[in-house]
Amino acid sequence: MVNLVLVSHSLELAEGLRTMAGQMAGDTVRIEVAAGTPDGRLGTSAPMIVDAIHRADGDGGVLVLLDLGSAAMSIEMALEDLEPEVRGRVAVSGGPLVEGAIAAAVQASVGATLTEVTAAADGASAMPKLPGAPS
Amino acid sequence: MSNRLRLSIVDPTGLHARPAARFVQAASRFASRVTVEHAGREADAKSLIGLLSLALRPGSLIELVAEGDDENEAITALAGELAPYVREADTATTERGDR
Repeated sequence: MVNLVLVSHSLELAEGLRTMAGQMAGDTVRIEVAAGTPDGRLGTSAPMIVDAIHRADGDGGVLVLLDLGSAAMSIEMALEDLEPEVRGRVAVSGGPLVEGAIAAAVQASVGATLTEVTAAADGASAMPKLPGAPS
Repeated sequence: MSNRLRLSIVDPTGLHARPAARFVQAASRFASRVTVEHAGREADAKSLIGLLSLALRPGSLIELVAEGDDENEAITALAGELAPYVREADTATTERGDR
């Protein structure tokens, strides 16, 4: 099964989203967070992302989602620090964090592959947020 | 039981995300191809994004379609999953509020 890592500048944001996605998908999907700095400030940290990927790592691989800005750079650094074998099982989605995490968690819960779960997270950007809005 | 079922959304807030997620999980247990058709569009019932992209609202008419070896079982199970949020659509019912 694919597991998720949520990368956010805010621990509260990531934890809240983990609760939401977990409730939607059920508890078969592991969702780890790498959010805030080690000393509790807003920000992202490559070592924390590496740790979260290790906690989430399994046979199905890991999908990483991020909030914005420098989170992308921290993820890039984290990927460089990963063992090549683990790195090969990790994908990153530029999809919207909230919808993407929920869509990815639900698809992961039905046994979708890493490619399929990544496509679900990426595709979340095309989902209309308001009823009646063009998609 | 046919492999095709016309339903009308009655839940006051449409088909919200949590029941939609449970519906996707239920549909994924069947080998059949399962789709939800609405307003000329077709969504894969095994994809949350696909389902939510239909933007279903109260009064929306949907057609649940299953094609495959277990299509009848799929329709029965999924109709049960949706039961709190739909009623069987009268074929004469005209769709309101949808473009």
